[in-house]
Amino acid sequence: MSNDFYRTSILPYAAVIIKICRAYTASQEDFEDYYQEVCLQIWRSRANFRGQCSWSTWVYRVALNVCLTLLRRKKSKGHTYFSSDALPDVVTVENGAFADEQLNQLYVAVRHLSEVDRALILLYLEEKSYGEIAEVLGTNVNNIGVRINRIKERLKKIINERFN
Amino acid sequence: MNDSIETIWKEGFLHEKSLVAPSVNDLYNRKSIHLVDRIKRRFQVNLVMIVVMVVLLPVICYFMQVIWQGVAAAILLLLTAWYNKRQIDGIKSLDQGATSFEYLRSFDRWLRDVLARSVKVARFSYPLYFLIAVSTGWSAWNRQGGGDMPLIAGIIVAAATLAVFYFSDKIYRWDVRLMYGRVFNKLERTIAEMETLKQG
Repeated sequence: MSNDFYRTSILPYAAVIIKICRAYTASQEDFEDYYQEVCLQIWRSRANFRGQCSWSTWVYRVALNVCLTLLRRKKSKGHTYFSSDALPDVVTVENGAFADEQLNQLYVAVRHLSEVDRALILLYLEEKSYGEIAEVLGTNVNNIGVRINRIKERLKKIINERFN
Repeated sequence: MNDSIETIWKEGFLHEKSLVAPSVNDLYNRKSIHLVDRIKRRFQVNLVMIVVMVVLLPVICYFMQVIWQGVAAAILLLLTAWYNKRQIDGIKSLDQGATSFEYLRSFDRWLRDVLARSVKVARFSYPLYFLIAVSTGWSAWNRQGGGDMPLIAGIIVAAATLAVFYFSDKIYRWDVRLMYGRVFNKLERTIAEMETLKQG
């Protein structure tokens, strides 16, 4: 991967990639692995980008696909700690992946969601339109709003139960 | 929880310093270790399978009343296992302190070297396995009162043995591809990708 490609096509979207990878990993080691794999996959698949969507949408899509694939691979190898019942909250809350405590708590709650719901809420929080969310996830735009509301309620409930 | 989720997200990331991208210089380090470990595990599994066969074959052959063929095959398998074990031990000589790219390259060279040597061994072991199989069939034929082996059958067996000897190289490579094909392809792809990455 050339430095130019990394600097111009990946680095401007690094924050987005980091936010997504954090939602699918519970340790710093995994996070760095996922981040690197996403970068590599963006570089690998650059020839497949035909300009039918924006580059940022493309980055979102690749990042989510890579995270979901790695997560499933990990699950199939028996690393079950990503299941919603047994999440290691300590990694993000006590050790603090982020400086903001409330943000750490929100991430813990996000990791309790299903894989697709995590993707959905991340895109929503990144202020993507329903159309863009549907495009990235390859779903129908119709019930996205309802689903987001349900996810938000669930997140609030999890945070209240766990941290308040 | 006083703030809305949207507010937590927006304000949380407003001054967030941890959004600095991790380094991607050592991109393949762990990947390489996983890949080599996977191949090593496959070798070990293969070795265990051979040892199990060494134990089982004479027992099965005893019940099939072809005990000598079973013992012969078991000895041949045992020699194969011993040879494979020595080859696998050679992995330890690879420089683990090298960069992941160099490590993978030296692993690939070692693998090619082992395969080249194993082809020579297969040249003799495959015809022997074939002859043991024929001998087993012949014993069964004899027990059913088949009598001596007809000359034409003897000629066919001899020709087939020569063919196995001649094509042992191809048979061995096919055998290896069948067992390790996917993981070897992965190794090739990874090295090619790393080369491209290095060229930038």
